[in-house]
Amino acid sequence: MGHPGSVEGLVRQVSRQVRYRRAEHWAMRGAFWGALAAVVVLLAKTLLGTSALPIAAALCLTGAVGGAVYGLAKRVAPVDAARLADRAFGLAERVATALEWARRPDRTPLVDALVADASARVAELPRRGVVDRIVPREGRLLPIPVVVAIALVLAPPVPLPSGRLPDFSSGSEQEEAEDRTGATMMEERARPLARDPLKRPTFEERDFTQRSPAGGGATAGDLSAIFKDTSLATQRPDFNSFLKKGDERLRMLEQVDRLPDLQSDFTTSQYKMIFRKSKALSGGLRPDISPQKLRELLEEMERLGRKGGSWGGDISEGMDALEYGNQDKALEAMEKALNKMRAMEEQQRSGKNLRGGRETQRGGMRGRDGQDGSGGDEQDFGEGEGLLPGKGRSGAPKGEASHRLRASPYDVGVEGQSRKGRKDAYDTNMTGRAGSMNSRLQYLGVIGQYRKMMEDAITREQVPRDYHAQIKDYFQALDER
Amino acid sequence: MTQESRVQEFVQAFNALRSEIEKVIVGHREIITNVLVGMFAGGHVLLEGVPGLGKTLLIKTLSESLELSFSRIQFTPDLMPADIIGTNIIVEDADGRKHFQFQHGPIFAHIVLADEINRATPKTQSALLEGMQEGSVTVGGVSRPLPAPFFVLATQNPIEMEGTYPLPEAQLDRFLFKLRVRYPAIEELNAIIDRTTQSRAIVVDRVMDGRTVQAFRELVREVPIASHVRDFASNIVMATHPHWADAPEATRRFVRYGASPRAAQALVLGGKVRALAEGRYNVSLDDLRAMAAPALRHRIILNFEGEAEGVDVDSLVAQILERAEATTVQGKEPFVR
Repeated sequence: MGHPGSVEGLVRQVSRQVRYRRAEHWAMRGAFWGALAAVVVLLAKTLLGTSALPIAAALCLTGAVGGAVYGLAKRVAPVDAARLADRAFGLAERVATALEWARRPDRTPLVDALVADASARVAELPRRGVVDRIVPREGRLLPIPVVVAIALVLAPPVPLPSGRLPDFSSGSEQEEAEDRTGATMMEERARPLARDPLKRPTFEERDFTQRSPAGGGATAGDLSAIFKDTSLATQRPDFNSFLKKGDERLRMLEQVDRLPDLQSDFTTSQYKMIFRKSKALSGGLRPDISPQKLRELLEEMERLGRKGGSWGGDISEGMDALEYGNQDKALEAMEKALNKMRAMEEQQRSGKNLRGGRETQRGGMRGRDGQDGSGGDEQDFGEGEGLLPGKGRSGAPKGEASHRLRASPYDVGVEGQSRKGRKDAYDTNMTGRAGSMNSRLQYLGVIGQYRKMMEDAITREQVPRDYHAQIKDYFQALDER
Repeated sequence: MTQESRVQEFVQAFNALRSEIEKVIVGHREIITNVLVGMFAGGHVLLEGVPGLGKTLLIKTLSESLELSFSRIQFTPDLMPADIIGTNIIVEDADGRKHFQFQHGPIFAHIVLADEINRATPKTQSALLEGMQEGSVTVGGVSRPLPAPFFVLATQNPIEMEGTYPLPEAQLDRFLFKLRVRYPAIEELNAIIDRTTQSRAIVVDRVMDGRTVQAFRELVREVPIASHVRDFASNIVMATHPHWADAPEATRRFVRYGASPRAAQALVLGGKVRALAEGRYNVSLDDLRAMAAPALRHRIILNFEGEAEGVDVDSLVAQILERAEATTVQGKEPFVR
């Protein structure tokens, strides 16, 4: 059994180098922080007197020595040192493997050959440093506190700030005492005004009590004379509060988003806002819909629904689905709620109790039909016009509608937006009342389902690679709509 | 025999085998090396390349340079599993009594060339599954061992999609390596023309028998691997999984399923053979780096995004290697800080 003596020797040598480098590294860091502390001490030279200099020097020294000791004391794992040696000498993991396997009980016969090979190669290695010096950021910045400290040592003591604000008042202490009495009087008089600062005091409300001569007496050229009948006449200029208020105003101007947006369109309906948010939620080719955002949207819809909406059930269903991690179902529930929201909004818009509209006429005719038995509803509409989706009378026999793609009954009358240019086909929903409305294609559900089907088809069936980009572009285009 | 001499013998045999193949095959040194690595690691190799690059010729030459039985199966859409494995047929003995006798299929050979494997249906492709993994096939409830060493070399054409059946993931995973045969350089093309258009016949010598191959396979498994090198292999495989915490961004974006544990086995075994072939007694990080693309490229399944973007799996593997190195092998100044 071969003994990896020379291999272990190399590992010890590398470990020693690592320790020295660590000591350098940590000494530089410690010296930096020590020098920084020394600068603070030297700034307080006025207070500390002659003892500031030795304290500062001691801090620098302690930092450097403490760092070096810490660096030397840190343990170097032999395996790590072996890996470093392998990398530094290009030994292709011979040292690390030999060191690890030499003492393993399950060693194979090849391990002896490995140990011998590694030892032979290590014996031929030149003695050189393999651990690079790494100067820490503190090491690069070290000259700054050192130079500052030296400058502070040479410079005269720095006067310490008193911590009091400058006094803007111009007057003797006697005036101050008088002002203090005047201020209390003014406070008493100003109290009723403080309730409503915008309300100017009426003539009857003015206080005609005798003022003290110091507060109310106006001399020639004194600008305060214009305030002589107001409470400001006795008030001293308060620059501190002025500056404070000014700061607040500036801060407020910086927070632009908190200011009211006078340009925004407040006529946007709730349905449109929610619809836009929901569409934004599912944007992109592969929308990773955040459950948190979906939840927020559902909660917002629920809030809106409390004011008389009928979609509360759908929202709670969606929230439940979201709880169980079923995003598709949650989206579907949101779709249903959106449809109900839209229906309610349309009802509100069209049913403003204005008599004489088409709806009313139709209702009237229907009523008459019921009585007279003579038909004629369809004659009311021009070509291409129609009822709301799912609300018209169907010519088909009664019964359950055939389900396609888990569609809701509201899905049957999908409306679109007319594109510009010459039409190749006849658009049914582009005229009449439906034409003026926004698209109601259920992108959230339908596009998502089709995308999933497409991805399954791509991955399971064999679609030529050249078509992949085309398919992706197609779905990208659908999303961008 | 000392361990050193065993390893030297392996190195010589490996180089001799490669030289024999290079008598016929021009260029493709890396492909030849990796085919041999796959063979000594005890795995099977899938060669992918456009027609006419010498895939089949390479395998035929390998079989000629080894004293092993060889069978070639041309995969066609009407090929049936029984055509590969064999079947029971009724035979009549001297007494006139009839009984079933197993007729061995072409899979019962040391080296099996599955030519254009993706032209057969998945049902037929699956006939190789048990043989490739277990080294035996079961027919009529009877398990029959395949000859050892058993080595499947399959070829497939990546550009012809019509009338082909892509290999299922389970089948792909059973191949130790997938090698991409590239188009030759102009010098190599000239050499191919010179060699193949003259009347001089090239004779390939047999340099190894089955027993030697088996012995070398056992030797390969004795090669030690350091724990940090093994960790590197594990990290490479884990970095192919999009849900792994340290997976690179490219993996998260483009990969549907990552590599199986067989990929880690392939990495380490391939690394061991490569180390021995270079006369080394241990696996290095470079060995794993060299084996990463052949071992992983057929085990990483891209998602739709990756397919649509035309992501090259080899470049993805390069990114995965970078990440695995960052998580396993520390930087240049690991201990100072």
